[in-house]
Amino acid sequence: MIKNCMKRNVISIPATATIREAAGLVVAHHIGQLPVTDEAGRLVGIVDLQDILSLELPDIFKLLPDVDFVHDFGAVETTRPTEQELSQPIATLARQATSVPETCGLLRAYALMLKHDLHDLPVVTDSGHLVGIASRVDLGTAILSLWKDPAT
Amino acid sequence: MIEVLVAVAIFLACLGLIFSEKLNRTIAAFVGAVLMVGAGKIFNFYDETEAIAAIDFNTLGLLLGMMVLVALLEPTGFFQYLAVWAARLSRGKPVRLLILLGSVTTVLSMFLDNVTTVVLIAPVTILICEILGVSALPYLMAEALLSDTGGVATLVGDPPNVLISSVAGFTFNDFLTHSLPMVLIAWLAALLLIRYLFRKELSIPPSNPDAIQLLDLEQTLHDRTTTRRVLIVLGIALLALFIHGWLQVSPAYIALAAAAAALIWLRPEPGSILQRVEWNVLVFFATLFIIVGGLEAAGALDGLVTLFGRAGSMSPVLFGVILIWLVAGISAIVDNVPVTIALIPVIQGLGAAGMNTNPLWWALVFGAGFGGNGTIIGSTANIVVTNLSEKTHTPITSRLWNRRGLPVMLVTCLIASIFYVVAYPLLLK
Repeated sequence: MIKNCMKRNVISIPATATIREAAGLVVAHHIGQLPVTDEAGRLVGIVDLQDILSLELPDIFKLLPDVDFVHDFGAVETTRPTEQELSQPIATLARQATSVPETCGLLRAYALMLKHDLHDLPVVTDSGHLVGIASRVDLGTAILSLWKDPAT
Repeated sequence: MIEVLVAVAIFLACLGLIFSEKLNRTIAAFVGAVLMVGAGKIFNFYDETEAIAAIDFNTLGLLLGMMVLVALLEPTGFFQYLAVWAARLSRGKPVRLLILLGSVTTVLSMFLDNVTTVVLIAPVTILICEILGVSALPYLMAEALLSDTGGVATLVGDPPNVLISSVAGFTFNDFLTHSLPMVLIAWLAALLLIRYLFRKELSIPPSNPDAIQLLDLEQTLHDRTTTRRVLIVLGIALLALFIHGWLQVSPAYIALAAAAAALIWLRPEPGSILQRVEWNVLVFFATLFIIVGGLEAAGALDGLVTLFGRAGSMSPVLFGVILIWLVAGISAIVDNVPVTIALIPVIQGLGAAGMNTNPLWWALVFGAGFGGNGTIIGSTANIVVTNLSEKTHTPITSRLWNRRGLPVMLVTCLIASIFYVVAYPLLLK
């Protein structure tokens, strides 16, 4: 079950916090994904590094078939989000979170992660409170550790 | 009498749904066509055979042939090649970039579908602007405005042109002699006006002009062989269009023959190519033809003829100028294809009432083409650049379009009107 391999000390952010605060938290803890919670600590969304970085790297790059021919990104390299953009609440960037209960099986959790392209999977109680988070590595190693050694 | 009422009711209900955009236009026309044939069978004025005969396969064939050629060219990177070529040539100078990107878009949209051109050029434009550190606004709006303007110049430039020339019997060369000269003037005026309206944005020097020179032109083109072959076929097709009157073949045959030649030469995986063809557009056209055919079969157009018998006494020159502005006004708010299809029977009615309709067809071409520039939703190209601009720091708003796009429509329509009055004897032929 996922509760045996998840991290219980979850770094999360309230929905009312600003994008700048979220960026600070991501930098301070060196993490790639940030669950967003309401006042009661219930999971309401998730923000990942890529969502925050989209403020700096324009969305347009998704529409181009390739950027190999761009050898110098010019002004894009030094464009920083404006103060106004950074003071928006983090909820504006948050996506709907995919989460699982503590009793979720390891392979189901891993499959959900792959399908939803997540790096970390939040774990919630029945009432929706965030209690843990499992990374791909947490889950993957937990699954691999179940492989029996033929010698034993 | 009842059949006229039923046919008109179905036609108007369809147009209403299409104009209000309450229902997808292809679905509206599809349902309308089915209802029209059904009503025709009940009231005994229209049947399946007549419905099939009402479809103008010349229009559909021309569109399909060109769509296949574009579908082959699209993934080669040729469009981004041209945009990057223009950017490098501009050396990062804003006005020069505007002129070059505007010209590339115009020339492409004279021969290929406007929307495809804009869809493929606009993202590269935004990339170039981001690299330069300038607002993409003037360039994106110029591309939409100039591609709509350029599309008026040729028979294959814009779907209304195909429709009108199919009914009016205009050839590719008729467009080159009757429309192209006027469009050249209108295009130049549009460009100068855009240059003036965006003078503030264009006076800001880019922070990073050198990075543009580092764009690797070679790497933009993914498939040299395909590009070369499609361009050769396209070139031959255009030459054939010049002499299609003399060859005694339809433009549709030329476009389909070109598509066939390109397919046999390149032998691509057909599924991926046919997927890029805009079938919804073709179905929309086919079903609209069936609806208009039903209207005709019910005798609804005879009523129009008597109605317009009186309009025939109006000065034909004045009537044409009014038509340009009327069509442009409606096309600014709704798509110009349904506007054109709705007006075709009206002009046919005037012809039956004894009026020389040739100049009126040209008025319809000019109005439908330039009207799209009026508002943010006036043409699909406008909607495309607006959506793309929302991914930049300076999104295009409706208010902005009214201040910077609407003047372009007014000026081009004015030029078309002056041309119409001055060149009226030419347009009679």
